[in-house]
This record gives sequence, structure tokens and C-alpha cells, in this order.
Amino acid sequence: MYGDYEAQRHWMELTIHLPMREWYKYDLQYWGLDYPPLTAGSWINASWFALDASRGIESPESKAYMRTTVLVFDSLVYLPALFLFVRTWHANRSARTQEVALLTLLLQPTLLLVDFGHFQYNSVMLGLTLFAMVCFARGHDLLGAVSFVLSLGFKQMALYYAPAIGSYLLGVTIASCRPRHFVRLAVVTAASMLILFLPFLPPFAPLSAILDPITRIFPFNRGLFEDKVANFCGWRVRLQTRKDDDARAGVVAAREPAPTLPLLPYALLTSSLSFFLFSFQVHEKTILLPLLPLTLLLSGVTSTEMSETWEIGMLVSNVALFSMWPLLKRDGLGVSYIAMTVLWNRIVGYNPFRARPNSLIQYLSLVTHAGCLVLHVLELLFSPPARYPDLFPVLNVLLSTPVFGLAWLWSIRRGVEVSWALGGLGPSSGSGTVPNTPTHHKATVSRSENGDVGEASGAAPLGIGRETGARAVSLGYAQGRRRLAHSRRTGSISSVLSAGSHHEFEQK
Amino acid sequence: MQRVRATTPSSPSSRAFPEMQSGHPEPIPENEETKSVEKKPESFVRQWSSRLRLEPSEWDILIASTCLKLLLFPAYRSTDFEVHRNWLAVTHTLPISKWYYDTTSEWTLDYPPFFAYFEKLMSIPAYFIDPRIVDLNNLNYDAWSVVAYQRSTVILTELVLGAVLLRFVRGAVNPTTQRIISASLFLHPGFLIVDHIHFQYNGFMYGILLWSILMAREDNKLASGFLFAVLLNFKHIYMYLAPAYFIYLLRSFCLSPSGALLPTRFISLANAVIGVFLVSLGPFLLMGQLPQLLSRLFPFTRGLNHAYWAPNVWALVTAADRVLLKVVKRGALAMSVNDAGVASTSRGFVGDTVFAVLPNVKPIHTFIITIAFQTIYLVKLWRAPTYKSFVTALTLCGWTSFMFGWHVHEKAILLVLVPLSLMAADNHAYFRTFMIASVAGVFSLFPLLFTPAETLVKVVYSALWAVFAFAPLHSRVYEFPRSLPFVIIDSLEKLYLAGFPVLQLFVTLFPMLTSSQSSASPSPGANAEVQVEAVKSDKLEPGMSALEFLPLMLTSVYCAVGLVWAFLRLSVIYIRQQY
Repeated sequence: MYGDYEAQRHWMELTIHLPMREWYKYDLQYWGLDYPPLTAGSWINASWFALDASRGIESPESKAYMRTTVLVFDSLVYLPALFLFVRTWHANRSARTQEVALLTLLLQPTLLLVDFGHFQYNSVMLGLTLFAMVCFARGHDLLGAVSFVLSLGFKQMALYYAPAIGSYLLGVTIASCRPRHFVRLAVVTAASMLILFLPFLPPFAPLSAILDPITRIFPFNRGLFEDKVANFCGWRVRLQTRKDDDARAGVVAAREPAPTLPLLPYALLTSSLSFFLFSFQVHEKTILLPLLPLTLLLSGVTSTEMSETWEIGMLVSNVALFSMWPLLKRDGLGVSYIAMTVLWNRIVGYNPFRARPNSLIQYLSLVTHAGCLVLHVLELLFSPPARYPDLFPVLNVLLSTPVFGLAWLWSIRRGVEVSWALGGLGPSSGSGTVPNTPTHHKATVSRSENGDVGEASGAAPLGIGRETGARAVSLGYAQGRRRLAHSRRTGSISSVLSAGSHHEFEQK
Repeated sequence: MQRVRATTPSSPSSRAFPEMQSGHPEPIPENEETKSVEKKPESFVRQWSSRLRLEPSEWDILIASTCLKLLLFPAYRSTDFEVHRNWLAVTHTLPISKWYYDTTSEWTLDYPPFFAYFEKLMSIPAYFIDPRIVDLNNLNYDAWSVVAYQRSTVILTELVLGAVLLRFVRGAVNPTTQRIISASLFLHPGFLIVDHIHFQYNGFMYGILLWSILMAREDNKLASGFLFAVLLNFKHIYMYLAPAYFIYLLRSFCLSPSGALLPTRFISLANAVIGVFLVSLGPFLLMGQLPQLLSRLFPFTRGLNHAYWAPNVWALVTAADRVLLKVVKRGALAMSVNDAGVASTSRGFVGDTVFAVLPNVKPIHTFIITIAFQTIYLVKLWRAPTYKSFVTALTLCGWTSFMFGWHVHEKAILLVLVPLSLMAADNHAYFRTFMIASVAGVFSLFPLLFTPAETLVKVVYSALWAVFAFAPLHSRVYEFPRSLPFVIIDSLEKLYLAGFPVLQLFVTLFPMLTSSQSSASPSPGANAEVQVEAVKSDKLEPGMSALEFLPLMLTSVYCAVGLVWAFLRLSVIYIRQQY
């Protein structure tokens, strides 16, 4: 049958021809509309969408038109969001680092392949979330909240971020002791949600009409697996409830005092990875959501520093792409997959096979990448035995899932570390991670002396590596400081930072 | 260059023309070191490996461009793709005696024997990848295996071009500038459009041409002549360049400065060239198939213009004829009108061109004009047989053939753009010529890709290439125009270049506007397709108005204006240049 391309085309067909309230009801057997209203509303009229008659149409012109819409939305929403993000969150970095960061974010191969190859509009949803992050960093919490609701309204997958963003906003209001701020946030959020769903609400439609979008958008009546998905369900280890994860992600973010901004990427990563790993009916494309905060973190470090964030980030990013292989192969994107993988790793300057591995993570990434390669070669050479036609996708899942699990654990640890660096957590919870931090810094410093540094294409001047000690809060460091100027805790964060880097230089 | 110097330190050819040293100063900086290394026996291998060792930026270019080309695998491909697949099948299944007789497919083998051998070589791995690729009767086979295989062979064989361009950098007077030029050639949008989307093997063959030019630069003229002979036997279109080669090699290699013949050199060169032709044509000569082979290579049954007018003088003349016909029909001018010509205009671009008002052009006319123009440059080359002069004369020879040739294809513009690029950074006059010719030439290739999906790729890629190639070169050679005529020319040229975005906008929007007026055609794109179909298949579409061809006609004429101007510009520069 047809894939996502036909699904999106069919939705355009639906939304043009039907009155709004019937959007979520029409002929559900054939790619029923299951995205929130904002997606459904965003189409332009054209002649390739005659109701019913146009099913399966794929002329070169209509294809070009559909692809162009992706490109247009991408450049209208995602590109400005990325640009603003780099300008805001890396404001204290050099122009060159900012450019490298932008390039890193822009060329994230998984997103490009899914949006432009497989055909979806994920970049819009991610872009709106990014806008929310930019607004938070600039102190416009209300605007950020609206932006995030829009993101939710475009694609409900953004719910994966909701615990983190929610806890962040909650943390801001609690720490600043401004109940009016909280009320304003709540009102704005609810209002924008209401406006989105307005056509389905009582004055315009019978009350029962609201049930149609909801049942379509949250398809609990689908199977547990969309296909073979690289999550713990696939492993049949155990099924955790959503509440556990909500709580866990919430703990990291919400217990913080006001300047929790540097934590936001980690919280987003933890929260979305939790959903990805443990929740119900997860599609493999959902890995895009954890990938966004991960790429944001990656954009803050360069290959010359050989930091842990860099190693883990690149490993997970590559494995995420690898986990999409069955999907991409089905779409005939095999060559594009190879090209994008090579190109991205070259551009960001990552090569798991070159450097002599001298840390656990580097060994791990060497082994994982080798495993991926071996699997690809095996799949190329042998066809799977008749008894297990899905052998290779299953092996793919078995290889990817532990990496994602590791990334999840790492992001939780990292979140705790950063919050400790910010001075937020008490000694009881921080004590477990204290010994880790100095050793890691030591390893980082010694590694960057090994001389592997100059090879990267985007080789940043070595001077940037000076800040490695403060890398724990690399993202949003400046912003955090700027916000802190108005806050009580100014002293503590700068003392933590200076102590960290001072400490490191002594060891060196 | 170092190798030549070291192995034949007293090479007579380097002493023959002392003035050549001034025209082309030798790069000697690192010679001392390499010379001492080269004396050892294993030096040859090491030297090649050191020459081909890539710097990080060069790796970047190689990897990025290869990835882009891989991403273009599923892009539109023209009938040339099936042409080459058919040749794989012909050379694989049939014995050599039947290669030039087979007519199973309409795409018969019409390249010289070396290309046929090359296809034979490539058909061997093809057989193991998918036997159906080389099945002679499996016409229009377009499975993923054959697409991936043929596209990969283009990418792989293009590495010849990359290697040669690297060697251009290694021995250059000014390596930084040469690196920009080499990169711009390797990433040339012409190659991307014609080779990697449209499908041909130009990158490979221009690699050989540049190799031959490189040998001329390194004063190894025997190798230069040999390589050019090889190239001629790959694709005979390079005959356009042959006069310049002939004169250059004869004057600077076979004759002494005083004009006396040097018999040993002459005989060695003649032997090399004859040897190449014997290897290539020998088997067919023995089988008595030479007439058949030549009739395949030179089909003189085609019209003056290709279906889409190549942007040359004839495009301007044809356009002028169309305009004059309109004037005559209105009765403003009293001239006799040729009825066949009127019929020809109503068919737009299709078939051979017959002028309605202007006198008709025959192949012999184009031939005479071409020879006449070439003679001017060749006389100049005879008087100043230096490397720089040679490259310019080579460019101009190709350009003359492109401008005045019979049934020229628009892809032949690469024959001009590639050698012209080598001189782009010499001074501002050359650079400006290069810029105008490149923009007009690349733009004239755009109609090759008419599918909507590739439109964006070709436009964006070419624009990016233009920015990254022109900006650094421009900053290196810029000179302010010094007198009023030059200021006027300068502004007009800028105005002309600024017209290209407008033209592209018009070409993109025009089909949409016309289709929205006539409700008969279902969609804007389908219109363009019908138009191109009509052009491609030489069929008469009775209901089509001449307006349908307006974008193509405008593209052709506008590019022709720029190319003719750049041609005259370079001619004047060359004639006035003191070597």
C-alpha cells in the first residue's frame, strides 16, 4: 500500500472538501485523519485532491508540490527557530561556533530523511517546540507556552515533551513565588488549546463531536506496536505506565529553583526518551523527538573537545538513524541513508573507527558501529531464513534499544549532575554523582591533549576547549547567567562554574 | 612536472623555447626536496601517492559531492540512460563484429570504439550484479539495480577528473587560486546536470581532456598528444578542439623555433597517435567495417538546430527569422517568403529548421564559417605557441564550433566552459568572460531537466556554485573599468547577468499562467510535459500554439546573446594579448 506520503495527501483532500467537524470521521479505514487540527488546517488548494477520486495519485507535479510544501514549512518554521535558538542559547559563543552549531542542527540526517524522504511534517512540530525553548530563554514564558501548545496542536507527539516543559514552567512559577504568573500561564495555555479545538466544541458542533478528534488522535485501539519498534515493548521486558515516567522526568526538572533553564534540554531528552522507551504504541519515527534535544546538546560541543556529551550524542544519533533503516529501506531510501550518514558524520567531524578508543564510551561506540555495519553487510549478503522473515529488523531493534536505554540513563545522570552544578539539589541526591564529575573532566582534558583534535572539518580553535569544565552547563550558560542577574542565586552558580574550571586547570 | 624534470633533466623540449618559461613560470619551491627523493627506484609510486594524498578540505569536497550525487540516484534520467544501458547489452552479448550493426534498440552504438571497449569493460560487473542489465532485448529496463549500477559508474569514473584536477593544484604557480578553480570544475553544475541527473560520462572524458592539457602544461607534449588521441577515440565531439591541438603540437613540439622540422619528435608523435587509432579502429579496419562505423559516428541527416536550439549564432538567426516573418506577414516589409519556412515556424522547435525569410543555411556554410574563424586563432597560436596561448586557442576553437557548427547540442557548451575555467583567474578580463559564459552556459543546460522535482535542485545548486566559484576569484582579480566605454560595457554586462533570475522566474511561471487561462490542460506541469514530449519526439502537435515554446525560445536566445558576446570578448582579448 501507500505510505505516509499518501496519508498526508489524503488528509489534504479531506480537509479541503469536508466541513471541519467531519474531518475526523470520514472513511476511517482509509488513512483516517489522526493529527490535531493545526495540521489539518494548513493546506492550500490544488487540483490533485479531488475527494475520493484522487486516491493514490502520484504524478511528478503533485509530488513536487507536496515536497515543496514540506520545504516551505521547514523554512518558515524550523529554520528561523534553529537560527533563533543558536543566537539565544549560544549567545556567548564565537560566531564560528554558532555557525557550526547551526549546521549541525540543520543537517540532522534522521529528520531530513523522515521529512523529505519518507514524507512528514515533523520539522514544523519540532520547530514550534524550539520556538518555545527560545522564548523561555528570553524570558517570554507566556509566548513560549503558546508556542508549545501550537506544537502540540500540530502533532500530538509533542506531548512527549509536555512533562518537561510543564515542570519547567511550574518550577519557574514556584521559585519566583508569583502565583499570578502561574495563573496567567494556565489561562493562556488553556485558551490557546480551546481556540485550536473551537470548531469541534459545542457552539459549533454537538458535544459528542469533540470525541472524534480525541479518539482519532490518541489511538489506543491500535496494536501495541506500530511495526517493529526499538523500545522496551519490543523487548517485552516490562511495560511501565506513563505516570512513572512523568514523575521521573518531573522530578529532575521541577525540583529545581528558578534558573532551571540549562536543565531544559536534559529534561526534554529524558522525558521524550522515557516515552519512546516505555509507552504504548510507539512508532519508530518517534525517535525524532529525543533526537531534537540531543542534537541541541550536540550543537553546544564540538568534536575537538571529545567530551562525553559529544560521544554519547553522536552514538545515539547514528544509532537512531540506524534504527530507522527498516523503514527507510521499505521506502527505497537505502542510498540516501548511506549518503546522509556519511555526510553528517563528515560534516560534524565524527569517526567512530579512527580514534584509538580510550574510554568506555568510545569502546562502546566502536562496537555498536561495527555491529551496525555487520548487520548491514549480513542483510546485503543473505536473505533472512524463511522461518524468521523479520530477522533483520528484530536484530536492528535488539542492537538499538540498549543504546537508547543507555542514553536514557545518561540523560538522567546528566540532569542530576547539572542540577547539582546549579546548586539546586541537596547533598543527599547529589552525593552519588559527585565522584564522577572530576574524573570525567580529567579524562576529557587528557584526551584532548592526545592530538586527535585537528582532524575535524569544522575544527574550532582550541581555545574553546578551555571551558570544558563548565561544559556541564554548556547550553544556556550565558542565558542562565543573564536571568540569574535578577535572582538570588547569582553567587552560587558562578562560584560553581569558576570552581569547576579552576579545579580542572589544577589537575591539568 | 617534477617527474618529467627529474627523469629527463635535459629534455630538449624544455630548452627548445626559452620564451615559454616566461609565459609560464615554473613552480620550483619544493623541487629540491622531491628531486632527491625521486632518484630512488620506488619514487614513482610514492610520488603518485603523495600527489594524490588529499587535504581535509579536499576530502570534504569529495565526500560532500559524492553524497549529493548519491542522493540524486532516483532523480530524473533522460533517454541517454537507456542508450548507455543498451550499449552495455550490445557490447556484452554481441561479438565485436556486430557492435556497429546491431539495431535491436533505436539507440544504436554511435560513439567511437574506445567508448565501446569501455562499455564492454563495465558490462562485466554489470552481468554479475544483475544479468538482466545486459540482456539485449530487455529494452527500457529501469530496475533499481541498473539505476544504481550505472549511476555509480558515473561517480567512480569521474574520479579521473578529480585526480587530474588535484594534480593541477599540486604543480600550480598559485596553488590557492588553482584549488578554487579545480574545486569549481569538479563541482561544476554542468557535470551535475548532464552526468548525474541527465546521465552521461562527461566527467570521465573531460578528465582525460584536462589530463592532456596538464601534460601540455608540464611540457610533456608527447603524452598530451597521445591522451588527446585517446580522448578522440572515446567521443568524437572533441574533434572541435583538434585544430588547436594539431597546430600547437606541430609548432611547439615538432618544429624548432626557427621553423625546422625535428624528425625524431615528429615521428614519435605521429607513431603515438597512429598507434592509438590503430588500437581503436584496427579491429574494424580488418573486418572492413570502417564505412559502417563512420556512418554511425557522423550522421549528416540532421537539421541545423537541435530540437532545443543550442544557444549559438544560429539560434539568434532563427529567432531573427521568426521575428522578420511576423513583420513581413503584417505587410510592413516586402520580402519573399519561403512556404516551407512558414511551416517550419508553426512547428515551433520541432524538426529541421528552414528559414522563412532569411536565406537558408547548408552544412557547407557552417563548415566554412567555422574554419574561417578558427584560422584566425590558429595563426595567432602558430605565432605564440605557449601553454596559455594554447589553452585560449583551444577554448576558442571549441567555441567557434559551438557557435557556428551544424546541429550543435547544448551539452557541447562544456567544451568551452571547462578549458575556459583554467584561465579564469588570469586577469579580470578573462574572469569576466568566464563568468558570463558560465552563467549563460549553465543556464542554457537547464531545459535538459524539465521535471518539476529537479528544477529546484538545478537552480539552487547552480546558484550556490556560482556564489562559491565567482566570489573568491572575483576578489582576487578585480580591476576597476578605466574608461567610459569600459564602464558602459561593464554595466551592460552586469545588467545582462541580473536578467537571469528574472528569466528563470518567467520560465517557471509562464506555463502556470498560460494553463490557468486555457482550462483544457489539466495542470500547469502537464503542459510543460506535453511541450517537451512534442520537442523530444519530433511529433507535430496540431493544437499547440507557438506560445508554448516561448520560454524555451527565450532561454535559448538570451543565453545565445551572452555566449556570443563572451565569444567575441575572448577573441578580442586573445588577439590583442602579448605572449
